[in-house]
Amino acid sequence: MVRKLIRHPLYIVTYALFVFFIVVPVIYTFITAVFSSDGVFLLQKQTYLLLSKSILISSITAFFSTGLGTVLGFIIYKTNVKYRHFFKLALLIPLFISPYIMAVAWKDLLFLLFNANSLMLSYVGLVGVMTIVFVPISMLIVGSALSNIDSQLEESALVITDLKNVIIKIILPLIKPALFTSFILVFIFSISEFSVPVYFGVKVFTTEIFTQFSAFYNHSLAIMQSLLLVVICVLLLYSEHKYISDAPFLSIGSKGSNSKLFDSEKLNNIGLPFLIVYFGISILSPVFILLFQSLNGGALVIIHAFDLLLPTIVNSVLLALVGAFIIVFIGFISAFYSIKNENAKVFNWLLLLIFAIPSTVYGISLIKFYNQPTLDIIYSSYAIILIAYIGKFSFISSKLIANAINQIPSNLDEIAQIQGVKAFSRICKILLPLILPSLFAAFIISFVFSLGELGTTIMVYPPGMEIMPIKVFTLMANVPQSLVSAMSLIVLTLTLLIIIGFYLLMKPLLRTYNFVND
Amino acid sequence: MRFLTKLLSLIIVIYITSCSTNKNEVVVYTTVDQIFSEPILKDFEKETGIIVKAVYDTEETKSTGVMNRIIAEKDNPQCDLFWSGDPMRTIVLMDKNILAPYKSPNAVGIKDVFKDKDGYWTGFSARARVLVYNKSMVDDYEIPQSIFDLSRKDYKAKVAIANPLFGTTTFHIAAIFNVLGDEKAKQFLIDLNANEVVIATSNGDVMSRVARGEVFCGLTDTDDANEAMKEGENIGIVFLDQGVIGSLIVPNTLSIIANSKNQDNAKLLFDYLLSKQTEAKLAKSCAQMPLHKGVEIPKGVPALDNIIPMKINYEKTSSSLKRIQNYLKQWLEN
Repeated sequence: MVRKLIRHPLYIVTYALFVFFIVVPVIYTFITAVFSSDGVFLLQKQTYLLLSKSILISSITAFFSTGLGTVLGFIIYKTNVKYRHFFKLALLIPLFISPYIMAVAWKDLLFLLFNANSLMLSYVGLVGVMTIVFVPISMLIVGSALSNIDSQLEESALVITDLKNVIIKIILPLIKPALFTSFILVFIFSISEFSVPVYFGVKVFTTEIFTQFSAFYNHSLAIMQSLLLVVICVLLLYSEHKYISDAPFLSIGSKGSNSKLFDSEKLNNIGLPFLIVYFGISILSPVFILLFQSLNGGALVIIHAFDLLLPTIVNSVLLALVGAFIIVFIGFISAFYSIKNENAKVFNWLLLLIFAIPSTVYGISLIKFYNQPTLDIIYSSYAIILIAYIGKFSFISSKLIANAINQIPSNLDEIAQIQGVKAFSRICKILLPLILPSLFAAFIISFVFSLGELGTTIMVYPPGMEIMPIKVFTLMANVPQSLVSAMSLIVLTLTLLIIIGFYLLMKPLLRTYNFVND
Repeated sequence: MRFLTKLLSLIIVIYITSCSTNKNEVVVYTTVDQIFSEPILKDFEKETGIIVKAVYDTEETKSTGVMNRIIAEKDNPQCDLFWSGDPMRTIVLMDKNILAPYKSPNAVGIKDVFKDKDGYWTGFSARARVLVYNKSMVDDYEIPQSIFDLSRKDYKAKVAIANPLFGTTTFHIAAIFNVLGDEKAKQFLIDLNANEVVIATSNGDVMSRVARGEVFCGLTDTDDANEAMKEGENIGIVFLDQGVIGSLIVPNTLSIIANSKNQDNAKLLFDYLLSKQTEAKLAKSCAQMPLHKGVEIPKGVPALDNIIPMKINYEKTSSSLKRIQNYLKQWLEN
């Protein structure tokens, strides 16, 4: 059975295409860089000092993000606090705003309120903004782990002790893998982040890589430096993999979950104000400043911003849509076969490798590999952008889907198998319906990330093509702040509207399988 | 259902591999802000019928995309014409043997200092490096008139410059090294550091900090200052060192990429951009100073004739830059 699955043509074709189109360019670039770099930087004390600083900043960010995400996740997923369904979605908004725009908004807000921003132009500002940006990821991871806790454990414990002890002795130990995963994923996102540190004038390892690229045009050194980041990320995820040993995280589906909701007045009295305050600080404040700045320029500015973005919308949405479909497909194939067969886990590691590579290095790799006459059909077309999206986001999609598959009792598949149902039918009629919410979530996350992807896309987008984040980025430099804010708000609104649209489209299907109530 | 799936797959494949290849086209990569460069490229399209495919980037964001792309694409160039916001990047490409020579008939009338003698690059519409100050924070008699005034104690922590490793600030510092010599230039930087100069992310960021009053003044480009003034910011500009070393003039440059696919159209666009008509448009849209004589400029746009320029050789300055880059990096880190 196992050997048959790994030889499945669908897996082999998907795996081979991923390796050829995405992994080979990266490996080729790294090998070229290794041979053309003297490697002296590896011996320099300064390299490691800077790397340590980046690790420290990312660790603090990951710590705060996981802490806040846990508190928010607990309130939203484990209590019956009012408007929790609203907050479940609303608190995800920072994921849809570019971190750079968040940094600008926060700095402007503090300047508007206190007429000074020395606080923001520091490590505090950097960690603060990155924490706000990444809290939604922690909240999703921890929240889903919390909603998967078996209520019997909590109820039995509540019989003999109070809620505080249940949280400390039962809940926290049970969600420890999710906390660990949240910490590591946020750490990886933070250590790879470039735009926020550069805005706050904090030198970190990514800014050093950028300097080598853009000031010294020393591609080999920059690629070698980024290899250090890749090694750290891979080691961390390897330790996470060993530690949690396939414990589910980042799972969206809750079908069959009998998690307990703590419905105490005291919890609700604390929870709701906390959610409101956090929502006000982390979401309303930056959105307010963007709105304030947009309106400062008058209604014409908003119309102008819309006119500028209009030619980019269709292309950007279509590309993100096609990209998200392919990413979910790859994520599913990788997740499904990795669970079925230990040998197929190499696919996961390849997804991870590409995920951990800084965007600019990935972009350079794609140029060096694809920019040749024989591959012009890819390099000069939308395909190159899709390759960029797929490489960057398939890992997240695969993780999401793998955890959903892990939660499905294996006996369902076994019974169907005994009944003689073919493998393809079992996947279509049992597995896919059961993981539908996770597939949908993977699709939405892939879509949102693809729609906002900038680092690699700006390196490879074909001449003459207009892509939304690139347009905002290239216009940002020399247009009034009001116009930049208006464009950011339009992008945010558009993203939210599309997500709502997807949800409404999917609702009948989700209803069919009882994932949403009538 | 299967037919629909196949049809959908086919549509997706056609969509993702679609690329409108047209012989009557030209591919231009530009670091000039899209808001200013795009209308001019559209005009060229309308007037000639040649399709312009552009890749935009911006100096403000260090031109990561365009420059690194051109270098990475060296063996199979996609770009036909590089329109740079400054000569420094162009000279980097020239040194990497990425450019092809072309002497445009429209280059006649542009001073030799603004073009390469072999035709690897030609300058047109220029910006200048200026001091921008917040009028409500600086009295008239206190306004710095020289770069050396920026080290005055009363300006401690109140002067901003952009990261000297990037953009026109790099070029400005390299020019200062060229004009003053290494020793004096290094002392100037040491004094700036001692006076706690604020390092901004970009020239635009310098402008914003001055306009908001975070600092009294800063060094930026005329186009950034012009935009801020158009937005009604209470700022003033000064061309520094008009009695001594002069102000740095930063022309746009045009270069043909060697072995590119649409050389003829690239030359047509080159000529178009180098015309007086384009210089007039850039003067109007972003206060750039024409390098041709006799181009009408709007009120408020400085004329090159009224500024004492820093006397430099652009190619030598670019070479100096390579020499001092590591020093600048160390200076920044200390």
